[in-house]
Amino acid sequence: MNCQKFESLAADLARGEMMEVDVLSDARAHQAECSSCSLRLHDEEMLTRGLHSVAVEMNSLQASEATEHSLLASFRQHSVVVPLTSTRTYRPYWLTAVAAILLIVFGLAAVVWKGSNQPKNQIAVQPVPQAPTEIKDNKNLVAPDNHVANLPAPSKPKRNFNPRVLQTRNSKANRAENTVANHAEVATDFMPLGYLNPALLQDGGQIVRVEVPRTTMASFGLPVNMDRYNERVKADVLLGVDGVPHAIRFVQDKRSQ
Amino acid sequence: MKPKTDLTDAELLRLMMSGDEESFTLLYKRRHPSIYRFALQMSGSQQVAEDVTHDVFLFLMKDGHVFDPNRGSVSSFLFGVARNYVLRRFRGDQLTVPFADGEDDEPFDQVGSEPDPLEDLTKAEMIDNVRRAVLSLPERYREVVVLCELQELSYGETAEILGCAIGTVRSRLHRARGLLLAKLRPNKEAEVLSSTVVESARCFA
Repeated sequence: MNCQKFESLAADLARGEMMEVDVLSDARAHQAECSSCSLRLHDEEMLTRGLHSVAVEMNSLQASEATEHSLLASFRQHSVVVPLTSTRTYRPYWLTAVAAILLIVFGLAAVVWKGSNQPKNQIAVQPVPQAPTEIKDNKNLVAPDNHVANLPAPSKPKRNFNPRVLQTRNSKANRAENTVANHAEVATDFMPLGYLNPALLQDGGQIVRVEVPRTTMASFGLPVNMDRYNERVKADVLLGVDGVPHAIRFVQDKRSQ
Repeated sequence: MKPKTDLTDAELLRLMMSGDEESFTLLYKRRHPSIYRFALQMSGSQQVAEDVTHDVFLFLMKDGHVFDPNRGSVSSFLFGVARNYVLRRFRGDQLTVPFADGEDDEPFDQVGSEPDPLEDLTKAEMIDNVRRAVLSLPERYREVVVLCELQELSYGETAEILGCAIGTVRSRLHRARGLLLAKLRPNKEAEVLSSTVVESARCFA
């Protein structure tokens, strides 16, 4: 071991730090050989003793009782303040939670209310289907020879047309007329003429009033008064934009019932 | 259920944070002397030591929840807080190390009684010299000497408090001891010189 290595270990040797046995024996051997390193270790040991004396000297020192009393007073005051602080801290969270719950409840209520309203609207919009039996007694149905008669002015073809939408949109405009008409006429539900693809009615359509032979009703499974089989009956035919008829319903004047 | 005096510092701190005054008192009585001495050894001022001790435990009762047992002991935590307060006083209050006579520069209470007054005087003088030499060290060396030598903490605990590596603590302590020896050596040489002069005077007498 050389002097530089010993100097790095001198403090640990003086402080009694644990080290490997080989290193310790080498250091002791070098100390015995080198007077300057021996003096250095002596100085380090003196310093260690001096520092230890200072530590022992101050070992019994502590803060005054006034500090302890002051801290205890602060602690009691702080203990009183703590609940207030915590309450103040958590109050906004409770308010937020209550507000969130209320929002959820109102949101759910709105969804339920809307859901319950939608079927009602549809039911209100849909025309009341008339039972075929209502036109059983169609004794006074007019049977003119002209085969087409225009019904209330057909509305302009609209996009996204379908029978339900048409009825819904026309319901406002025709409500008064329909109300009057409903008082004057009864009608069956629309019956498809062959396969009715709703997509064909997307671009619009038209309803025309026609008169057909009463026997036509039989082809749709409706009862026919055989005493009046040679008369004509009113019918509404639903035409697509291409002019192809898609559905038909039979109409009867109430007066004639 | 074990008595509170047997509880660890961390358990006392937890109870203290829930408002238990007895736990606070126990923790204070257990830990405040070392904190007070650390502040006193760092500053050399009893008033500063009192203030720092007060501030450390005031911080503990208000912000004790920031203590993380995974990062170290309560003792190390308190030393770290005390160190910050001491350094803050050094920088904020422009505190001067009381080498010169000042209001706070009161001699520490003497402990024990020695039969020989001369030996008492010599020892007291030696202790005073060492204390002054420690106080004259730069802060980063002083705190290592105070923690490792005067508080007798391990390198690991000191590194934990200072937030540095153990190797850094070792190197700083080595450097600090070298500085202390350099500061104390003139006194020693002067003593040797004075004793030589006396001996010479006796010879010539």
